[in-house]
Amino acid sequence: MPQEQITLYTAKVCPYAQRTEIALAEVGAPFKRYEIDLANKPEWYAPKVNPASKVPAIAYGGPDVPPENPSPESTKLAESLILVEFIGDLYPSSNILPADPVLRAKARFFIELVSTKFSPNYMKFASGNPEVTHTTLLAGVDAIQGILPDGAKYAVSDQYTIADIALAPFWARFNVLVQKGIGAYKDEERKSFLKALEDPKYAKFNGYVQRLLARQSFKSTFHEVRPLFWR
Amino acid sequence: MSEQLTLYLHKLSPYSEKVQLALTEINAPYKGYHVDLSNKPEWFTSIVNPVGKVPTLTYGGPSVDPEDPSPLSAKITESNVILEFLADLYPDSGLLPKDPVLRAKVRFFVDATTKHVENPLYDFVRGQGSYEDVLKGFEFFQGLLEEAEDFAVGDCYTIADACISPHLARLKTVTENDLGKFRVGMGLKLGEELKGPKFTKFTRYVDQMLERPSLRQTYDEEGVITYFKTAFVRAQ
Repeated sequence: MPQEQITLYTAKVCPYAQRTEIALAEVGAPFKRYEIDLANKPEWYAPKVNPASKVPAIAYGGPDVPPENPSPESTKLAESLILVEFIGDLYPSSNILPADPVLRAKARFFIELVSTKFSPNYMKFASGNPEVTHTTLLAGVDAIQGILPDGAKYAVSDQYTIADIALAPFWARFNVLVQKGIGAYKDEERKSFLKALEDPKYAKFNGYVQRLLARQSFKSTFHEVRPLFWR
Repeated sequence: MSEQLTLYLHKLSPYSEKVQLALTEINAPYKGYHVDLSNKPEWFTSIVNPVGKVPTLTYGGPSVDPEDPSPLSAKITESNVILEFLADLYPDSGLLPKDPVLRAKVRFFVDATTKHVENPLYDFVRGQGSYEDVLKGFEFFQGLLEEAEDFAVGDCYTIADACISPHLARLKTVTENDLGKFRVGMGLKLGEELKGPKFTKFTRYVDQMLERPSLRQTYDEEGVITYFKTAFVRAQ
């Protein structure tokens, strides 16, 4: 159990940031949450917290200061997947990282798949990039379903892990988009995608993502906020 | 450590090399097998990796000849996933530190290598990327290096060092031989600029990495030169 303070710089709308919020909720870590307005970032944020100017970022350790006044003594860390692993390392008994190295490798491979075949397409589809059609999206679903184990609750086993944390925020936002018809894509693409997903062959995937959305740590950190670029 | 490890690799691939470096640095026993990617054995795609890519690591199962892989072994793919797996199998090897903050720093290095080194460097070699982006990438990487250290993070060899070293070796080959689809002389120019005062810390780290016996044993410079000469022919 670490004694060091954790301050999380985050934004409700951001799926990357939600990954870290889910992880912190799963391990039950006390932390300070600071909302960054992505359309109007405070001028101290890049120089004092994250030079890349993105969320999420964590200031770890150092004196107990208000988030708007980060101390040079705290360690600054960034990149959502690195932060999720970091939280898993701080709380090894939480089980978000499987104990078995082979299962850990499966979780990390799942994350690689999400990062290459799924999460890039979320933004592209929402902003109406013609490269991303319902076929592209279904290929992503097929890839994920292809490695989901049979008869297991989550991505790697019955245990909820970093693999599930990596996907949940992206699937959730994508799901809101296509269910509500929000976004710059063609409506036929949305309809074709939804129709295809009704096929019984996607039962495993559909069951899995429903469980992702039902997870308490997901629900408590998900805010259905309309992202900037959808205006 | 009693379970078998077999690494299916390609001798010229930097992704395979990363894993070989890590295994060599920690003295882990393993069997290495070079896969001819232009003529993949049937058993490779049917039993080892359906996607047909290297590196692929098999772990456990019966001890068999690499050409006779068992369906019982675990198959681990994706070079960075394999590196993390090795760090988990050998928690005292130093491949990943024990401290969570240092682990995050090592991972940040690995991430920076993919985003700021690999992509700009190979785009440049393929004649598609800009010279400036390569320099910016190395500047970013240099900014992460600590003062007067021999390694990327802390005081021993980690997966961060294994991850970048193959690309540093190829960087040296490209700049010394002006090898790539970029404009004639740009490779030499890159080499000169990286030897300048702005990149002292970077060059010192590169020299340290390239001197390591693990790298000298693993990197096949002649093979890489031959391959680059055929793959990256400049339009006449």
